[in-house]
Amino acid sequence: MTANTDASATRRLATLAAGSLLVVLAATLLQVSFGAYPIPIADAWHTVFDPEIWSSAGVWRTFLLGGQLPEWLSRRQVVVWNIRLPRILVGTLVGANLAVSGAIFQIVTRNELASPYILGVSNGAGMVVLLTLTLFSGLLPVMPLLAALGGAVAFLIVYAIAWKNGTNPVRLVLAGVVVSTVFGSVQRALFFFIDNLGVVMSAQTWLSGSLLGTDWAQVRIALPFTVLSLALAFLVTNELDVLLLGEETAESLGMPVEKVRFGVAGIAILSTAAAIAVAGLIGFVGLIVPHMVRNIVGNDTRDLLAGCVVLGPALLVGADVGARLALDPVQLPVGIITGLVGGPYFLYLMRRTENLGDI
Amino acid sequence: MTRQPANDATGTDTPDRGLSGTDLVVRYPGGDDPVIDGESVTVPVGDVTALIGPNGSGKSTLLNALANKHSPADGTVLLDGHTIDELGSKELARRLGLLSQENVTPGGISVRELVERGRYPHQGFFDSLTDADRAAVTDALRVAGVDHLSGRDVGSLSGGQKQLVWIAMALAQDTDVLLLDEPTTFLDPHHQLEVMDIIQALRDDHDTTVVVVLHDINQAARYADHVIALKDGTIHARGQPADVVTKETLRTVFDIEATVSTTSHGMQVVPIEALHDEDGTDHEHAPGSRTPTRETAADGGTPPAE
Repeated sequence: MTANTDASATRRLATLAAGSLLVVLAATLLQVSFGAYPIPIADAWHTVFDPEIWSSAGVWRTFLLGGQLPEWLSRRQVVVWNIRLPRILVGTLVGANLAVSGAIFQIVTRNELASPYILGVSNGAGMVVLLTLTLFSGLLPVMPLLAALGGAVAFLIVYAIAWKNGTNPVRLVLAGVVVSTVFGSVQRALFFFIDNLGVVMSAQTWLSGSLLGTDWAQVRIALPFTVLSLALAFLVTNELDVLLLGEETAESLGMPVEKVRFGVAGIAILSTAAAIAVAGLIGFVGLIVPHMVRNIVGNDTRDLLAGCVVLGPALLVGADVGARLALDPVQLPVGIITGLVGGPYFLYLMRRTENLGDI
Repeated sequence: MTRQPANDATGTDTPDRGLSGTDLVVRYPGGDDPVIDGESVTVPVGDVTALIGPNGSGKSTLLNALANKHSPADGTVLLDGHTIDELGSKELARRLGLLSQENVTPGGISVRELVERGRYPHQGFFDSLTDADRAAVTDALRVAGVDHLSGRDVGSLSGGQKQLVWIAMALAQDTDVLLLDEPTTFLDPHHQLEVMDIIQALRDDHDTTVVVVLHDINQAARYADHVIALKDGTIHARGQPADVVTKETLRTVFDIEATVSTTSHGMQVVPIEALHDEDGTDHEHAPGSRTPTRETAADGGTPPAE
């Protein structure tokens, strides 16, 4: 094993960030250029970096606060800026959220195979989605927020079940299995109450996780929660560093382990909920990105989270190119692509590492 | 609250400094009988105190009670004149360090990064490392003799090196009192001696009060200023090594026949044979009386006391 000095970790982080940025940039140009309204790459580049738009306060007000777009935008500018770019921006936010919350859950459960969904969040959210589609269709407009809320409630139930004079990683994971199993069954049962194929399709799309049809409205939902949860995550890196050493050591170092664990898990849930609300249940990103980053920059939490913030978007935005363009005109949910990429990556890890699982 | 007078031979304690436990009763959840049943200990300030005793005698439990890790069902622990649970958790961690017997070493961080975690109790919520923190870390690495490893990945170290690094982490905590739970048990002779040398250096050069659980009676006899021998949750003997580590104590506490002699390197204990109780009170060790102990332990409801 090579020497792991702080300087070399920083260098590797910088390389990772540069590589990720290139992937996002390339994916952006592809996404902007291809589609039903094709734009040559060079023109796409110019439109993306168009100073007329970057400097227009009116346009940004519309993007970030809603309302009518100014009349003077050309058709190409509208297609690029109002349809294709926001999808990339949502992908960026979702990728960063899932990767960071996955990293936090891997530390909290001290299990490298943990994902943002390990504590029941995905099935809680999924059940709410199915309930909304079948029984409470009047609530459809606020379904994303309800789903995120359902995920958070499932997490609280998991915590309540796991609690017995305090909790520990194994009890939390087992309680997550309990809640996931029950909610997952209810969710599947609800499918039989849908008699409209279109509704089944939209439920499936949502459960697989997709960026289809996302625009500035989704950016407006996800952005504040993303900024908040990522800022909080970077504030607690000292705590996460100590938590990684195990409960006993953390207690000896004067950490109130239960409070801190609940607090950091809450931050991760906020982050996950922001992702779920706009993109549904995209799998594997929150599992493999922290894994890949750890292999590159090591286990220092600040470096790990920073790596996740750049690699998560790269993976998700990159995968979304495949989801949108590979089988054109059919668009796949991006969660299917991340699964197709994530599975083989784990196979590779299994072959390469002997003791996969422990952090 | 009442302060217990120092009941050790040194008698140099000021009441506002040091660690003591009074009438401690410690139970584990689900266990009926207390693991420690009403014992009092005053740890001599600035000395090395060794806790010895057979498996399950309550050594680690007593250590954990003194560190406020297991709240005793009854009795009080005083640290520097405060009852230990009235100190905030970080405040306690600035005064008292505890190194557990087994530690999970995460891969992917450097030795120095691991030792830096020991500064956690000195840091505020949003703080990053200060120059004082860095100096303490450098000092801890040096005292533990692992400064040459500081850039290495902890995951790549040998078991003995890892233990020294963990000790360095506890040293970075910069506490007046340091409790170590069997720090030498799984180490090769070289690293065992290194650990004991660090403990001596802490006492001699840093004025640290050390309480250490030791499995090796010879190490206790040779390095400790004060030895406490436990059996079945009761303190059986305490005092200077020469008074505690005797043929008779070894027979009662450890159920062994042993010779104790004085050599040029201090006292030496040579265990000769294991004794078996005639009256049948010691089923666990009586050969042939039961299925092997491993299985009895697996289906027995109570956790082992250590």
